[in-house]
Amino acid sequence: MSIFEYNGSALIAMVGKNCFAIASDRRLGVQLQTVATDFKRINQVHDRLFIGLSGLATDAQTLYQRLMFRHKLYQLREERDMKPETFASLVSAILYEKRFGPYFCQPVIAGLSDEDRPFICTMDSIGAKELAKDFVVAGTASESLYGACEAMFKPDMEAEELFEIVSQALLSSVDRDCLSGWGGHVFVVTPTEVKERILKGRMD
Amino acid sequence: MTKQHANWSPYDNNGGSCVAIAGANYCVIAADTRMSTGYSILTRDYSKICKLADKAVLASSGFQADVKALQKHLAAKHLIYQHQHNKQMSCPAMAQLLSNTLYYKRFFPYYAFNVLGGLDSEGKGCVFTYDAVGSYERVGYSSQGSGSTLIIPFLDNQLKSPSPLLLPAVDAVTPLSEAEAIDLVKTVFASATERDIYTGDRLEIVVLNADGTRYEYMELRKD
Amino acid sequence: MSQAAIDVPKGGFSFDLCRRNDMLAKKGVQQPSYRKTGTTIVGLIFQDGVILGADTRATEGPIVCDKNCEKIHYMAPNIYCCGAGTAADTEAVTDMVSSQLQLHRYHTGRESRVVTALTLLKKHLFSYQGHVSAALVLGGVDVTGPHLHTIYPHGSTDTLPFATMGSGSLAAMSIFESKYKEGLTRDEGIKLVTEAICSGIFNDLGSGSNVDVCVITKGHKEYLRNHLSPTPRTYVSAKDYTFSKKTEVLLTKIIPLTEKVEVIEAGDAMEE
Repeated sequence: MSIFEYNGSALIAMVGKNCFAIASDRRLGVQLQTVATDFKRINQVHDRLFIGLSGLATDAQTLYQRLMFRHKLYQLREERDMKPETFASLVSAILYEKRFGPYFCQPVIAGLSDEDRPFICTMDSIGAKELAKDFVVAGTASESLYGACEAMFKPDMEAEELFEIVSQALLSSVDRDCLSGWGGHVFVVTPTEVKERILKGRMD
Repeated sequence: MTKQHANWSPYDNNGGSCVAIAGANYCVIAADTRMSTGYSILTRDYSKICKLADKAVLASSGFQADVKALQKHLAAKHLIYQHQHNKQMSCPAMAQLLSNTLYYKRFFPYYAFNVLGGLDSEGKGCVFTYDAVGSYERVGYSSQGSGSTLIIPFLDNQLKSPSPLLLPAVDAVTPLSEAEAIDLVKTVFASATERDIYTGDRLEIVVLNADGTRYEYMELRKD
Repeated sequence: MSQAAIDVPKGGFSFDLCRRNDMLAKKGVQQPSYRKTGTTIVGLIFQDGVILGADTRATEGPIVCDKNCEKIHYMAPNIYCCGAGTAADTEAVTDMVSSQLQLHRYHTGRESRVVTALTLLKKHLFSYQGHVSAALVLGGVDVTGPHLHTIYPHGSTDTLPFATMGSGSLAAMSIFESKYKEGLTRDEGIKLVTEAICSGIFNDLGSGSNVDVCVITKGHKEYLRNHLSPTPRTYVSAKDYTFSKKTEVLLTKIIPLTEKVEVIEAGDAMEE
């Protein structure tokens, strides 16, 4: 077994026109046994910046706490929020620091820049950044998600269409993965608002 | 001293993906034509699809040496069947034969992942999907091979099969027309080729319907 | 030392999870796979400088995780470096050395030399005994002329007129070995590099997508990002697909975002 499959997860972020969506499943398991069905893998860093952490849940939470600590220090020192690009570099540096004893965590970062330009990014567990223009995925269902997104993605979607595509891709992918599922948690971020939705999915 | 075992394996994986979709009066079977090992391409034009009978077409990925042996074995069995019964084997019969053939080698399996598509006695499309040791199931659509994990979710999304637990039993065939099914197959292969390194080069599509068999080809990415 | 100083490290690797991860490994947990750049990277010396080339595919096992990544990294204004191997390592090692070079330039006020970059890279890689798995093609033009080097993960280096690295290196080298000659012109050089990368793209499954080229001459450089895209997607359905069932939403929460308030500094500063 790979340690990434211990808790199970599915994460996806997708870009639309001046907006983005980031979504995850809601299952927390210990191998094949489901422990929680309302687990949160996506965290809000500031108003327009989100980070989802797939992989081992204990590392995800530890890493999240360290990241928030660093972000708060930045806010105090600079009196402003971090740009998504800056935050991605911070995550990458923190992960690469543990190159030879990594956090078992694959992050997905999504944010809107000050000019309302969407930014999405994923990394492996040692901080190799991948900046994509369309969508990024992570977790145990990543292969299924790649297939679904590759077939469904369209450029320049409006917020509502983006939500539907992300939700459909997420739900059809986690249904083919034993280790993730139990509905979904979707954030759609536009320049004016954050829409958080909880999706109904198969409960098995 | 512990016994040293040779680090030799009788199996290889030649990659590639197969898809089959059954409709009300047709069946579409498709596979890419890339054969590879490790990081190298052995050939860009190797058909994974084998027409076993008039109304039964087999697409298999996995280890192509085993696949070839399996196809030859099935063809021989089919020839004997024709001599004995003076007719072509039906697709469900071929499905059972394939299952038996695979299970016969339960402890030294054929490293082959099969999808069998065809038309049943009523002319309805049928798809059978297998594991390497002969467990099989009749379904409305299926995918096997290196890109199957990428392909299946989108097929699920578009063709959502009814639960097998429903009473009365609901037909598993897909509601699409033949042209729509071919379009869907092309889309899923173009998508899988983007992300799966073992799928690519060319797509071979076989369409079975009342008129007979038709072959179609489409180019895929070659990187 | 305060707690904050411990949590915000100055630099270097941290090994505090190694024991836990070893414990997990001993319990039979598989070690994770990292993102690799399967990669074809090449470089050659032509009549007025150096040309570097790379494909743009990053893979994780059999899956392509980035279709258009950048493998030609900036080292200095006159030096670039192609990276193959574990993506995080190539990225980190080139970033680190490029910042050391920048500091060195501030210190000396002179243009960086390729051998300086080479020494910094090989020193780092050698000290990690191959565990930092970066295979590099380093090229640049300095006061002593054009230079091209390859650096292996263990820290050994080569100095060559033409070089290839990565999983597609054999495919690319076959092109170089049959067509390279001394004193190529710029256009011939770009053509040859592109052909070598294409050979990797088509014949090596670890390499793919587009060709990036970087031409460095005395006092000038040209980064040709996506110089060639030899493999576009082959099919996009003409009709828009639809979803038979809309997703069912259990709960919606809308958080309006406040407009960013611009604070305009008043004319007089507050007096203490």
